[in-house]
Amino acid sequence: MKNRLKVLRAERDWSQQDLADRLGVSRQSVNAIETGKYDPSLPLAFTIAETFAMSIEEIFERG
Amino acid sequence: MTDTLKAPQSGRGPMVYVGIMFAAIGTVIALAATGAINGPTALVLMIAPLWLIIPAIKAANRKANASCGGKGIANRRYLRRIAMFTSFYLATLALMTFVSKSYDPSLELRTFLAILPGLAIAGMFWAIGRLIIEQTDEFIRMLTIRQSLWATGFALSAASVWGFLEQADIVIHVDAYWWAVWWFFGLGVGAIANRIQYGTWGAA
Repeated sequence: MKNRLKVLRAERDWSQQDLADRLGVSRQSVNAIETGKYDPSLPLAFTIAETFAMSIEEIFERG
Repeated sequence: MTDTLKAPQSGRGPMVYVGIMFAAIGTVIALAATGAINGPTALVLMIAPLWLIIPAIKAANRKANASCGGKGIANRRYLRRIAMFTSFYLATLALMTFVSKSYDPSLELRTFLAILPGLAIAGMFWAIGRLIIEQTDEFIRMLTIRQSLWATGFALSAASVWGFLEQADIVIHVDAYWWAVWWFFGLGVGAIANRIQYGTWGAA
């Protein structure tokens, strides 16, 4: 699954650790999701969407 | 902006203390094997390095605190449980060996003493199960489960192959508790698999 996490992070000048802290997960998790190696669960996807004040579809798309 | 931000850590890592502990125990075993020291002396000397578990736990806690949220808490509990069961294992193993060599214990006492180290190993499996349950970071939890599956496949495959080779009188007999050791070695194989596929080793 493709996602726009890296771009959205860059727009806010957040590091992976900054985003991980906001999501309550490890930096490795953010890196794995960002690089498309791991697809988050629905609850985590909702948390990510809420963190960026966007909908899930605006962040994730079928790859 | 940096993609990799690490919290500052001070002091030695937990693996340094664990490494020193195993090196010290290994040295004592080597001295005993070569006849430089006798059995009871070796067992007493093997107890001393166990105190290194304490700074190892403190170092592990420092490391866990440096990482984030749920992963840190679950890992800290896991390391504490593993340290506790490792200490129990080494102590009961030493006690069993000491009593067996120094006295002529009854069947009941020998049975009781022989069960204790096995229970300590069972405790380590329980600790890994609790780590999976308590881990709030779903990605890290998945890595731990993958490691456990790798370890299970690795150990049971090795046991199966060895068992048939043993039955065919091709290899020597191996005591069953060694397959638990292979299982823990399999966790390392699983960590390598995680590193290759996901770019990170995992937690356990």
